[in-house]
Amino acid sequence: MNITVCIGSSCHIKGSRQVVERLQALIAEHNVGETVTLSGAFCMGNCQQGVCVTVDKKLFSVSPETVDAFFQENVLDVILREEVDDHG
Amino acid sequence: MNNQRIQSLSHLCADIGYKSINHDGELLCGDHVDIVSNDDGSTIVVLADGLGSGVKASILSTLTSKIISTMMAAGLSLEDCVSTMAATLPICSVRGVAYSTFTIIHLKQEHVAELIQYDNPQIIWIRDGKRYDYPKTETTIGGKTIYQSTVTLCENDLIIAMSDGCPHAGIGTAYNFGWKLDDIAAFMEDFANLDYNAKTLSTMLVDTCNRLYDNHPGDDATACVIKIRKRAPMNLLFGPPSRRDDCDRMMSLFFSKEGKHIICGGTTASIAAKYLRKPIRPSIQYHNSDIPPTAEIDGVDLVTEGMITVSKVLEYAKDALADNEQYELWGYQQDGASKICRLLFEEATDINFFVGKAVNPAHQNPGLPINFTIKMNLVKELAECLTTMGKRVKLLYF
Repeated sequence: MNITVCIGSSCHIKGSRQVVERLQALIAEHNVGETVTLSGAFCMGNCQQGVCVTVDKKLFSVSPETVDAFFQENVLDVILREEVDDHG
Repeated sequence: MNNQRIQSLSHLCADIGYKSINHDGELLCGDHVDIVSNDDGSTIVVLADGLGSGVKASILSTLTSKIISTMMAAGLSLEDCVSTMAATLPICSVRGVAYSTFTIIHLKQEHVAELIQYDNPQIIWIRDGKRYDYPKTETTIGGKTIYQSTVTLCENDLIIAMSDGCPHAGIGTAYNFGWKLDDIAAFMEDFANLDYNAKTLSTMLVDTCNRLYDNHPGDDATACVIKIRKRAPMNLLFGPPSRRDDCDRMMSLFFSKEGKHIICGGTTASIAAKYLRKPIRPSIQYHNSDIPPTAEIDGVDLVTEGMITVSKVLEYAKDALADNEQYELWGYQQDGASKICRLLFEEATDINFFVGKAVNPAHQNPGLPINFTIKMNLVKELAECLTTMGKRVKLLYF
């Protein structure tokens, strides 16, 4: 799973640093570093919805306040579902 | 107390920087540095130290340096300069003399420097990282003993002129006899072959003096450093062109230029990556709290974010021209803005700006502290600062 966070000017002002650092912490905390790669990206052309984050090319709008919920819903739950599918 | 110019010596050029600290409690500095560049490409640097400190010393040294630099630039002889000074300078009521010591460095076009020294500490010349003992001849003009030298310039030569406040630093506190010239020379030798610019070198020297004085200088102290170096062109691309059709033209002009290439701005970087057919590899490593991370593109020396990074560069540039207190930050930090500073302030002598005038719709949001007008002013102000630093700056708009 690839997560990219926009580090362009607009998203930077809206808190991409906090989002990146929180995601790094969450990935370590939930021990999913082997499944999830986190990287940066320049402007994705959706500055109005910043901070722009993509998960496997699907675009999300995340803020430092919503990053935990975003991670649970779109990363952890998805990984869990994939594992269930694999075993089921 | 700032200033730093780079003058043409064909393929070599002189980077000149100086810094002064004032006698404890004084608002004015009794030392004065004057730099005059002539139409023929030669440059005259005069460092004068007025008798005493405060207003009186400041007037004496300012007059002395101005008289000498103006008269020398007009081609008058040293004898004329000295006699004019003796006849013009106000006489000190306490000591009954009109007095200001001076050091003159005349950088001539043919890669030759003429040194004229009167009563200031001897110029320290560093060549190939070692102190160089240049020949001197002694002459007497108007009762003053003056040392003259003519030295051929080599790349990486460091010429260090000082007022006596530098070698007197630390007398009675850190050292019995102050910071001896030999020790100052040894201190500067260590930095001679590193990439520090003249302004930074002079700042390091004077800051060390200030520490030896325990931050209460007992005299005005000034160091003027001249670094002889090769010209180094640098190119900076900032913003996409206003017309999309101009992308290729802008990129081909930018990449055809000699020297290093810096790209500021995410969208701009994407255009360049597309032109070069190379991927962008953005990093998510934050080195400095406020500056967005940098990226890499093969064939580009540095890729950074745009507005926020360049604003920080301008902030550092303004400081470098004033008190130069932040050079310790941009001098080693790994964030995009600090890296740009090192390339522009220290490495470059000739800078070409390729500025795209496209309006980024995302930036026109009233909630954001960035917009088109701010961006254009940013470029203009930065170009002005760099010109004041002595760089040759060209601005190209697309």
